[in-house]
Amino acid sequence: MRTRNVTLLMLVLGLLYTVMLAHAQNAPEASEKGKEVYEQSCAHCHGTEGRGDGSAAENLLPKPRDFTRGLYKIRSTESGQLPMDQDLFDIITIGMPGSSMPGWETSLSTDDRWEVVAYIKTFYDGFKESETPPRQINLEGKISYSEQSVETGKGLYVELGCVECHGNVGRGDGTSAPTLTDEWGFQTWPANLTQSWTFRGGGDTEAIFKRFIGGIAGSPMPAFEGDSFLHFGLTVAESKRLSELENKDEMTEAEEAESEKFYEKMDAAVDLALNRVEGIELTATEQQTYDDAMKVVYEKSWHLANYVKSLAPEKRPESAIGNNVLRSQYLQGGLPSMDDAAWETLQSKHFPLVGQIVIEPRQFNPTIDSVNVKSFYNDTEVAFLFTWDDRTHTTGDETDETTGQPLEDALAIQFPVKVPQGPTAPKPYFLWGGRLPVYLWHWKASAPEQVTEVTAKGVSNAEVQEAQGELQTQSVYTDGQYKLWVKRALKTEDKKDLQLEPGVFVPIAFSAWDGANGDVDTKRVMSSWYTFVLEPVPSSRRFVYPPLIAILSLGLLFGLRAVVQRRNA
Amino acid sequence: MKTYLLAGLALLLTCCYVSGTFAADSDAGEVEMLVFPDSYTAGSVSGGGTISGIVTFEGSAPEMKKLEITKDQAICDATEKYDESLVVGEGNALKNTIVYLIDVSKGKDFDKATKLEIDQKGCKFTPHVQIVPVGARLTMLNTDKVNHNVHIFSSINKPVNKQQTKNRRKMPLAGVKKAEGPVAVKCDIHGWMSAWMAYVPHPYFAVTNENGEFTLEDVPAGTYKLGYWHEACGSNSGAPASVTVEAGGTATQNFTLKLK
Amino acid sequence: MKRLSLFTICLIILIGSWAVLRFAVGGIVSVPIPGSVIAMYMGLIIIAILVHISVEDSLFREFLRPIHETLTDNNRRVRRRVVAVLIPLFLLGYTYSIIAQRANPPGSPRDAHPSPPLELTYKDEVIGTMQDVVNPFRHYEKDDPDAFKAHVENGRRVYYNNCFYCHGDHLDGQGHFASHLQPLPANFQDPGIIPNFQEGFFFWRIAKGGPGLPAAGTPWDSAMPIWENHLTEDEIWDVILFLSDYTGYQFRTFGEAH
Repeated sequence: MRTRNVTLLMLVLGLLYTVMLAHAQNAPEASEKGKEVYEQSCAHCHGTEGRGDGSAAENLLPKPRDFTRGLYKIRSTESGQLPMDQDLFDIITIGMPGSSMPGWETSLSTDDRWEVVAYIKTFYDGFKESETPPRQINLEGKISYSEQSVETGKGLYVELGCVECHGNVGRGDGTSAPTLTDEWGFQTWPANLTQSWTFRGGGDTEAIFKRFIGGIAGSPMPAFEGDSFLHFGLTVAESKRLSELENKDEMTEAEEAESEKFYEKMDAAVDLALNRVEGIELTATEQQTYDDAMKVVYEKSWHLANYVKSLAPEKRPESAIGNNVLRSQYLQGGLPSMDDAAWETLQSKHFPLVGQIVIEPRQFNPTIDSVNVKSFYNDTEVAFLFTWDDRTHTTGDETDETTGQPLEDALAIQFPVKVPQGPTAPKPYFLWGGRLPVYLWHWKASAPEQVTEVTAKGVSNAEVQEAQGELQTQSVYTDGQYKLWVKRALKTEDKKDLQLEPGVFVPIAFSAWDGANGDVDTKRVMSSWYTFVLEPVPSSRRFVYPPLIAILSLGLLFGLRAVVQRRNA
Repeated sequence: MKTYLLAGLALLLTCCYVSGTFAADSDAGEVEMLVFPDSYTAGSVSGGGTISGIVTFEGSAPEMKKLEITKDQAICDATEKYDESLVVGEGNALKNTIVYLIDVSKGKDFDKATKLEIDQKGCKFTPHVQIVPVGARLTMLNTDKVNHNVHIFSSINKPVNKQQTKNRRKMPLAGVKKAEGPVAVKCDIHGWMSAWMAYVPHPYFAVTNENGEFTLEDVPAGTYKLGYWHEACGSNSGAPASVTVEAGGTATQNFTLKLK
Repeated sequence: MKRLSLFTICLIILIGSWAVLRFAVGGIVSVPIPGSVIAMYMGLIIIAILVHISVEDSLFREFLRPIHETLTDNNRRVRRRVVAVLIPLFLLGYTYSIIAQRANPPGSPRDAHPSPPLELTYKDEVIGTMQDVVNPFRHYEKDDPDAFKAHVENGRRVYYNNCFYCHGDHLDGQGHFASHLQPLPANFQDPGIIPNFQEGFFFWRIAKGGPGLPAAGTPWDSAMPIWENHLTEDEIWDVILFLSDYTGYQFRTFGEAH
């Protein structure tokens, strides 16, 4: 009898547990276990009291989340709402790309992650106080990706003022970008929409839509929910008509009256939206009016999300490691100049860059993500095209307080002076050489038509070469992107230069500086050694030997037959 | 009633928190908070008195810093703009000081006729300090042909962060539930734009004009703690002035403030 | 069923063993076998086959019979023609692919352990010989657990202020700067790392970083900073305590076998 009771109890509990799991808000009650996991794995950044002030926070940007304010960036809920438990769980599981928040899927068990969710919620009383579950963003009316939709979205991108921060083509280079701060007063940069792999909440269309509708709480990114849209409450056709009227220099009396009607309709819709936020219940008709208005908003938002989606590749390009090295393509005749369409025929190689944290001053919070490179060569010369995104064009008008050096954007391309022979031969130290010297091309934004040749045996032991002028340079900065074109002869007279030869694998590395991010001296982003090669022209022997060998083998077969036949006879 | 209790508690906690946060915290984080009564009952006031006075700045005021207008110059830089965190007029009159009753629990209702607006004309918030009753809607005006982004850095209420596109002349904002203040108002698009506001539970709040004058009218007779807050000079919430007002009478209380 | 001819069996053995070496083994040990190694094995198998068929004359004749037939028997005309087309075609394609193959860069640095110097130093100060040096705070683990905890906590602070960018929040070598570095940062959660080294070895690698690696066994290409420029001697010992405390792995102590 007793056993049966226990079994029954367990069944009921099990059922309850399943129901709890199925429920949207499914974190368990906060427990000691959650605290323990939090303190072992989270507290060093987020602080033991959840204020985002752990000891590691100092060198991090974006800063670790302060949990005491209940402001969460990545939510599936509407603006001003708390996140769903699932949102918190997903962030812990997947992490936040482009920040120092890693995914914990492999290092914490599912249960532990849920425990942490429950524990994190204890830092903000709002979770306990809120009686109704957070309102989730409705994803039902998704408009699928099409060129038409992207085009509509592009118009909205301008109309809604996205360009102010995210820039004309989305590289995060808007004119307001350098002055942004978050809710805690820390500097923050708008997302580079062409680098979807840095989106904190993921780069899929739904994620973009959610960020857009729900805003990114605590950051300058506003929520474009409801009445932030132009002509909220009007249908698409009405809005178009009103825009026509508004763009007229002078309206007739009839037009005045017509527009006034539109304004009244809009005011009424905004009123309903505010009532809803303030918690005033809407009547059925009001709800209908509001829903109709929101339908237009959601439609527009999907178009915008599709447009943003169109700006970036699905995934980060594969980095130029292994056999995916930078191969300079052979061209007969002259090499293309910077704006030549010939460059379009090449696929660029992607070189990710990381903050330099080896030598003081260090850069813990880089703003330059990567540099993309293309190259052509002919019998005498080689040309490179480097492109990299930088949200600001800084040319050294301001100087760094500690070093006194000008703060400006720059790029350095690094080769060894002598190519290491064989796979075990040492390369120079990856950061501007050491015992073995490196040969550098150093370009600075303040002298955009010039690349300086430098020889270095370490960061404090760099020398500008006496013989300059061997490099031809062109560069341009547009819409948050630098383009740098460099051309040099394969062979030079200067013994301190690297001499290039087709088919030889040459180590190559990069350093880049973003003046607006305080980059100067060793405070920069950089790469370790990658590989570059002047791809040899495929040998014409490939048309000679194979047929020769085929004919030879046929002859051999016949010969063999003859020999065997003769012997049989 | 319970709301105000909670608000008071939250305020207290916030104050503790603010003083405890690390130095790198924002300037908005170090603001001394206004003090609100636990509860307030609004009704009609007959034979109330008036509290008025002048707030002056002690010493010589530093010259106002000209703001650097970094974008939309055609519209935003049409007139010269100055940092309004310390506006000192003739006779050292201190503008933009909030003067208010700390411990009033009963009194008049809000004047519904008062326009609750902040204009963003010329990429500048006018007025620089705005008082908004709890629950009332503040309307943001945008008659410039530029985009603005209204960012209200509340911490007790939910922060507001809404784009006001260039064609949207009026944008009303939802009323809030809890008393809170002062709260910074910024525009992320135009980083120099700055204003302050307070969501208040009772109408006995005044903001000093360019002559440094303030007036609180229809105050029920009695003795009150009179508080002030100024963006650059801080507040007296630790040691407020005590003022006694008689029915139909006028009490005067002047303040002299210096930089905190 | 007709018995397979010796020639066919040999052919099947050859192709079968090649396929196993090329595809199956690589799948089991998760790294494909290098081409040169496969060639060596195949050579051995061919020699074995040759030895086998040449042991007896009858066997050898048996082996050659299908070849003879194909070459001369008039009943085998179709097969002869197929062979006469296939073999030259195969050779044509094979030679072309060898000649037209584009060169690939030398492989990435080896994943071998560097040999440490005989003497352990901090900056220029000698701490002791690599063999005898012990973590000066290790004894607290038994003597004074509170002091030990304080050192581990300090190590935790040092780790998350300096190391986790590359070595990761979870000490698994997957920090947010890690994926773009070659070679990848060390993974302390790998059971083959901490238990194989003495604490002194870790001190040496932390203190001297990539530039401190020996001239032998290059190229190392490590991006590890010279941490003695940033950290105190005690901080390095503390972070070593933290590494073993967090992962649960014990460092090798002197006297244990390799």
